[in-house]
Amino acid sequence: MAYVRGRVRASVDALEHLVGGLGTATLALGALLWAAIVAVTCLVGVGLLAAPGALRAVRWVSDRERTRLSRWGEPIPTPGPVPAGLRTATRDPFVRRELGWVALYSLVGLVTGLVGIALPLYAVQDGTFPLWYRLVPPDAAPGIVWWRIDGLSDALWVGVLGVGCLAAAIWFSPVLARLQAWPGRLLLPPPPGVDLSLRVAELTATRAAALDAHAVELRRIERSLHDGTQNRLVAVNVLLGAARRAVRRNPDRADEILGQAQDAAEQALGELRTVVRGILPPVLDDRGLAGALAGLAGSCVVPCRLEVDVTVRCAASVEATAYFVVAEALTNVVRHSGASQVDVAVRRERGRLLVCIEDDGQGDADETRGSGLTGIRRRVEAYDGRMTLTSPPGGPTRMDVELPCGS
Amino acid sequence: MRIVIAEDDPLLREGLALLLRAEDLDVVATAGTPGEFLVAVDEHAPDVAIVDVRMPPTHTDEGIVAAVEARRRRPGLAVLVLSAYVEQAFATDLFSVGAVGLGYLLKERVGRVEEFLAALHRVADGGSVIDPEVVAQLLARNRRTDTALSELSPREREVLGLMAEGLGNSAIAERLFVTDGAVHKHIRSIFAKLQLPPDDRADRRVTAVLRYLDGDRR
Repeated sequence: MAYVRGRVRASVDALEHLVGGLGTATLALGALLWAAIVAVTCLVGVGLLAAPGALRAVRWVSDRERTRLSRWGEPIPTPGPVPAGLRTATRDPFVRRELGWVALYSLVGLVTGLVGIALPLYAVQDGTFPLWYRLVPPDAAPGIVWWRIDGLSDALWVGVLGVGCLAAAIWFSPVLARLQAWPGRLLLPPPPGVDLSLRVAELTATRAAALDAHAVELRRIERSLHDGTQNRLVAVNVLLGAARRAVRRNPDRADEILGQAQDAAEQALGELRTVVRGILPPVLDDRGLAGALAGLAGSCVVPCRLEVDVTVRCAASVEATAYFVVAEALTNVVRHSGASQVDVAVRRERGRLLVCIEDDGQGDADETRGSGLTGIRRRVEAYDGRMTLTSPPGGPTRMDVELPCGS
Repeated sequence: MRIVIAEDDPLLREGLALLLRAEDLDVVATAGTPGEFLVAVDEHAPDVAIVDVRMPPTHTDEGIVAAVEARRRRPGLAVLVLSAYVEQAFATDLFSVGAVGLGYLLKERVGRVEEFLAALHRVADGGSVIDPEVVAQLLARNRRTDTALSELSPREREVLGLMAEGLGNSAIAERLFVTDGAVHKHIRSIFAKLQLPPDDRADRRVTAVLRYLDGDRR
């Protein structure tokens, strides 16, 4: 069952890609026609003036396709503007490969896109045909059906054909989407050799971002150790000092102060546990994200339904953040929401980890009132993630967190 | 002695107040932010302020800034700064304008109540107190590079450390189990070796020694 659900989700994703690809393919066809006209007019000289514009148009369409492909696969860096001067531009390896891509993709992209969209449309049209075949004349059957339809049995055969189309759509959409992406994957990345400078620039940028996130993380840990645990321990120390002084003068008072010292020590331990859990929960290493979250859900006082659909592991820091988010959110639910049920859903989609926590409590959660929400937001944003919270008075409260997987 | 406490952690703030009140000291106000602290200083005219270095909003050096401002508003206010970790830059910043009635201690010293109270009284009486840890770091940092410092005898280095902590001659003598005269001799020798102008007043000595250790003369 889960297998079928996976296939269906994959084909829906693929359909989305195919539609997007059809868009860039149409643009590519336009760019190809323009380039062809310009090339022909170049023979008589007039086209030379329009050539740089045509090359820029090709570059623009190529960049659209690069961005599109980068969204759901290995990122393709964009090469920047077309070199100035027609002679240099025509020698540029990027420009040459892009011209090849425009020619190839206006055919492949269009055909795969149209077939990919037609299959589910036929599936719907033919599949429902037995319900409405009486409304149309017998020789006006839909879709790819060209024969006469006499009576229900013929209509049912068309219905079966529709089911076949549906099956084909589910099985072949991902293949079609890959086929559609193939020209871009082949021709749009930088050619070998030219690649390096772009890669270096890109790596420098991502590395700087990673270091930034790392520094933010260290600061966060330092803060929570300093403002929480250390202060608690100092308080324990102060109270112990006071208690020692009081022992001689007033033993009852000393006992009271020792009680306070113990409370402070317990708080210190509690906070230390939170900090340590926030750094890298050991359970993540042992049981992976799904196992670790199952532990959290199991120990939550409010009944918690958990659905985790993550087949490929993410970077350790991302998993730790997701774990932290769920842990903090559940703590909030228990403490503030008054909910009787909470749902946690985690899935990985296009290189992003999506976490959703929803409860049926009284809502009205406020980030500014010093709950753990600010901590969650800060931590998520340190990873270039996004967090949205909707919590109208009366509920329900829903938190959506999106994290780049980093692997 | 009228005392104001500025500390953002509620538990610690109450702990401090409890400790001092148990010693029959007059804690007139407690504050959780620099703003509240300055209001309390204006309102209650305290003799001593105990101030945490890290306070809201940014939790960096708000406490130091507030302490400096409080001393500007109320000249002669003694300030004892508490810090969770040693930051010699804060110490040298704080003492650069003079060390009268000024102290800088690690928070954990508060647990040794007698010593903490002694330090508090010393600051309130216009003396100065610097945490031994700060002095030790300054000395350690300078020992490797400073030839004059390496010429000091071990006993002289000990005396220098205690001077920097803000102890007066007789207190140093007591700590080292020697006579006042012996301490006096050591101090003259130290000042000669480090080429500092001799001075008998403890607070001015602190400034001079700190400035020396911080490398201002270079």
